[in-house]
Amino acid sequence: MRPSSTSAAPTAVIADDERLMREQIIDRLKEAWPELQIVGEASNGNEAIAIVQSEEPDIVFLDIRMPGMDGIQAARALAGRVHVVFVTAHDEYAISAFEHGAIDYLLKPPEPQRVALTCERLRARLNQEPDPMNDLLAQLSHRLGAGGLKPREYMRWVQASVGANIRMIPTSDILFFRAEDKYTRVQTERFEALIRKPIKELIDELDPDEFWQIHRSTVVRVDAVEQVSRDFRGRQIVHVKGSEEKLEVSRTFNHLFKQM
Amino acid sequence: MSTDQRSPSTANAAERGKSGPASRPMGIREAFRAIRKGIVVMWWSFFDWLAAISWKALLLVSFLALVLAGIFNHPVLAVVLIITSFIIKVVAGGKRRAELAASEATMRAETEQLERTVVEARMEALQAQIEPHFLFNTLASIDQLIQTDPPRASKMQQSLIRYLRSAMPQMREGRRPTLGQQIDLCSAFLEIMAVRMEGRLQAVVIVPEGLKSAVFPSMMLQTLVENAIKHGLEPKPEGGLLEISAEIVDGQLAVHVRDTGIGFTPQAESGVGLANIRERLKALYNGRAELIISVPPAGGTCATIKVPYEIAPATPSA
Repeated sequence: MRPSSTSAAPTAVIADDERLMREQIIDRLKEAWPELQIVGEASNGNEAIAIVQSEEPDIVFLDIRMPGMDGIQAARALAGRVHVVFVTAHDEYAISAFEHGAIDYLLKPPEPQRVALTCERLRARLNQEPDPMNDLLAQLSHRLGAGGLKPREYMRWVQASVGANIRMIPTSDILFFRAEDKYTRVQTERFEALIRKPIKELIDELDPDEFWQIHRSTVVRVDAVEQVSRDFRGRQIVHVKGSEEKLEVSRTFNHLFKQM
Repeated sequence: MSTDQRSPSTANAAERGKSGPASRPMGIREAFRAIRKGIVVMWWSFFDWLAAISWKALLLVSFLALVLAGIFNHPVLAVVLIITSFIIKVVAGGKRRAELAASEATMRAETEQLERTVVEARMEALQAQIEPHFLFNTLASIDQLIQTDPPRASKMQQSLIRYLRSAMPQMREGRRPTLGQQIDLCSAFLEIMAVRMEGRLQAVVIVPEGLKSAVFPSMMLQTLVENAIKHGLEPKPEGGLLEISAEIVDGQLAVHVRDTGIGFTPQAESGVGLANIRERLKALYNGRAELIISVPPAGGTCATIKVPYEIAPATPSA
């Protein structure tokens, strides 16, 4: 709609999930840079992207913590199209460390002098192309542990019906899984529950450092293993803490409990 | 020992001062008493020694005793002595083992209790840490309200003060925390969040007045409420409802925090907060309390803490 040119009044979009915070930034900007026009307000990352795409402002002020898509993800989507200023209450990602000019940041509540400095820098940068922020975004993503090559996410909770309720059982509470007919039994120290997911699928979703398959129909949590004995036929039997049940180790998985 | 020995002798000295001739028989009696005491002590140390020594060592000593008895020509005495020690060994062994087991069990129980107290103190301190994001965002909101709506700014600041006062461990009172106190703390937190999130947060507390005096561990409800907002409602653009409720189920106090937020995924990091609650419940109640996370039919998340129902001792109300 509005061609972003340096001759016309500069424009900005403010993105923050809290209205009070948006008002605050807008008030401070009015004091520091009366010509700056606020052309849109967003309360989450998705809205911010949509408004920036439709309004094509010169500048976007992005709060880092927002519902849905956060400020850093939004910045990645908008990189190179608009000048970005990050806003945060607590600089946990140490954006201050990147304060070498290309990208600016404001700490809440923004102090008038600091806002004035940001505006001054923005004015100087308006006739340049917006920075693609490659380094910054890569490093922020790294710090956030989001995006990029993320380590595989394993199951941390098992969703199972106990009575009439659906319960989230933390994997650290589970002693073992055992296949039983059509179901898989989840055994904890206090109760057992049945789930429909077969062992074959479970083993792919469980953290291999946390759970070991010891039999075609048994998966045991390694930390719950108390001892491994042998029965009269020489088969390995796993005993777990908090349960009387004895779990047989099949020959295929014998190597797991080799003597040191 | 030493005081035992001294007191009769000083008594003796006093008596000697009174009547000279009587002092001699008293001295003999005293000597006899000392000898008897010596024998008793020796007997018991012999008994303990027998109990502690291994059978192999005892056999060796018996053999040496036999040899010695042979040299001194008193084999019968030695044989009697050896048989007696064997019998004592059998009897004393059992007693000794029982004693050892008892003292070990006591020690283990004491260590466990101590460990539990230490773990609990550390965990509680951890749990009571105030999130910097929450604090700075709230202060920034107050800053904005001071300029636009001073009465509301003042109200919000009061809520923050109330929250900080009860959240800081060193400011908490030494008494056992009650559900009522924990709910007050959460209400202060929810008031602040309601101002910040505006229409996106509706909070309801449904707790019968009578349950507010029940004992409930500190900062756990707070963690559940914070989780419900941080992981359930804040990430949901349209927000939702948060409900705190409490009831008695089978003699246990069950406290629920329900939210209609984005819900739980099986991959969700279990989080320090929840793990912390689990550990603390284990330390405080030793298996008689639990934390249950469930998914209500309508979606969202429901977290429940069950602890034994116990009324806090009456305290002078402040």
